[in-house]
Amino acid sequence: MSTDLVHELKGLIISTLDLKDLDPEQIGDQDPLFGEGLGLDSIDGLELVVSLEKNYGIRVSSSEESRAMLQSVAVLAAHIEAKQRELHQVPESPHS
Amino acid sequence: MSDTACSCDTNAASGNQRPCFVRSAECITAFGDSSATLGKLLEGRVALAATPALMADGGELVPMALRGTFREGSPPRWWEDLLEFLSPVASGGWGSARSPVFFASSNFGIDGLYSTGKRRSSADVPFSTPHGCVQRLRESMGWGPVCWILSHACVSAQLAMDRAADAVSSRRADRALVVSFDYVGPFVSGGFHALKILNTDMPAPFGDVGIGSIGLGDGAGFVEISAEPSKFEIAALGTYNEMYHFTSTEPTGSGFRKLLEPMADRLRNCHPWIKGHGTGTLEPGRIEARTLEEMLPSSPLVSWKGSIGHTLGSCAAVELAIAMCAVDFGSIPGTVGARPPYFATNVMSAPFSPADHDSVLLLCNAFGGAHGSMLLRYD
Repeated sequence: MSTDLVHELKGLIISTLDLKDLDPEQIGDQDPLFGEGLGLDSIDGLELVVSLEKNYGIRVSSSEESRAMLQSVAVLAAHIEAKQRELHQVPESPHS
Repeated sequence: MSDTACSCDTNAASGNQRPCFVRSAECITAFGDSSATLGKLLEGRVALAATPALMADGGELVPMALRGTFREGSPPRWWEDLLEFLSPVASGGWGSARSPVFFASSNFGIDGLYSTGKRRSSADVPFSTPHGCVQRLRESMGWGPVCWILSHACVSAQLAMDRAADAVSSRRADRALVVSFDYVGPFVSGGFHALKILNTDMPAPFGDVGIGSIGLGDGAGFVEISAEPSKFEIAALGTYNEMYHFTSTEPTGSGFRKLLEPMADRLRNCHPWIKGHGTGTLEPGRIEARTLEEMLPSSPLVSWKGSIGHTLGSCAAVELAIAMCAVDFGSIPGTVGARPPYFATNVMSAPFSPADHDSVLLLCNAFGGAHGSMLLRYD
């Protein structure tokens, strides 16, 4: 998992959700994003997913996927990396 | 104009209130009228089919059950269909103080505004607003001016029935007609798709599966509520809004409990089967099934949205008409579109007899955790 991506995601969460009083350093990699952690709600979650789709060119197809990927910044970063690997995977030619 | 409900209320006849009854109810779905729909549900048939999320404008294929082919234009594709559907009640002398009409829809003709913006034509505008739709419907049906217009997402028709029953049972009206219609269009389906609850998977109501999805369906219903006794008595009505989450209910099921608590005495004296909301979204489906299993363990639970789709604000009227038709026919369709394992043991997949029960509890939910319920007793 890239530490650059983790840091970038913390910044994206802050800017997307307008969390002006928060610094990226205050968000722990494993902190839950919802509930007792960062305290995000379902509307925040949807805003974040839309922003992630735009910024990272990924597609989130269901609320279940959205809920799973938004557990923490670390889980989110791993999910994005996996999605991007899938996107950039060049299928092998059957003749090669 | 819209009315919303966010309080707990049970409309059981008491004090100065009188009992009220559903004299008739009819609906249309992608399969046809209530009788045709019942037949298909009993066979386990699914009307939902993969359809582009933005319809004529393409997009990911998602489950939809439409009445005919989607088209844009004026009058909108649903207009003639709706007029024909309502023709049996056109001559009923509706729209007076003693016989008011309650119109409900989650979207009315909102897709006309989408189409207007896209085609740069104002031809659709007269059908695009609640007032515009209702005015034209009233004129076409020859109904008087006394009507209500209600819209609160997917509990719209339930709220209309709640208000209509209240008018009758409190003696402000002799009878009331609820008319509800929701036809799917790209503005609506695009919105559901953006919320990540409408995807390529087919809905499996109450099914313990990995990914949930709803399916959207065209539907309309009318319900005649009267003080004149009939086979179907409205034993209780309830509304509650838990305001928890825009696409899910509170995880412990407290919303369902608070909805049903005021009618607990009546439920104890009945042996109902349950027509759940059951869209196919996972969290609300799990919460609904498990809470009902705990509260009413001997009541079988079904959902038909895995077949006809979610008819949105009209689902309460549409599914009431199907439920009444099923009781009259003598066979209740089980849950369609889902296979075991289910979230709860009371989910019924096979048809069963209404004679084993004396009532049906009809439930519906809407965005934000809005709940509506009706307990309907039958002879």
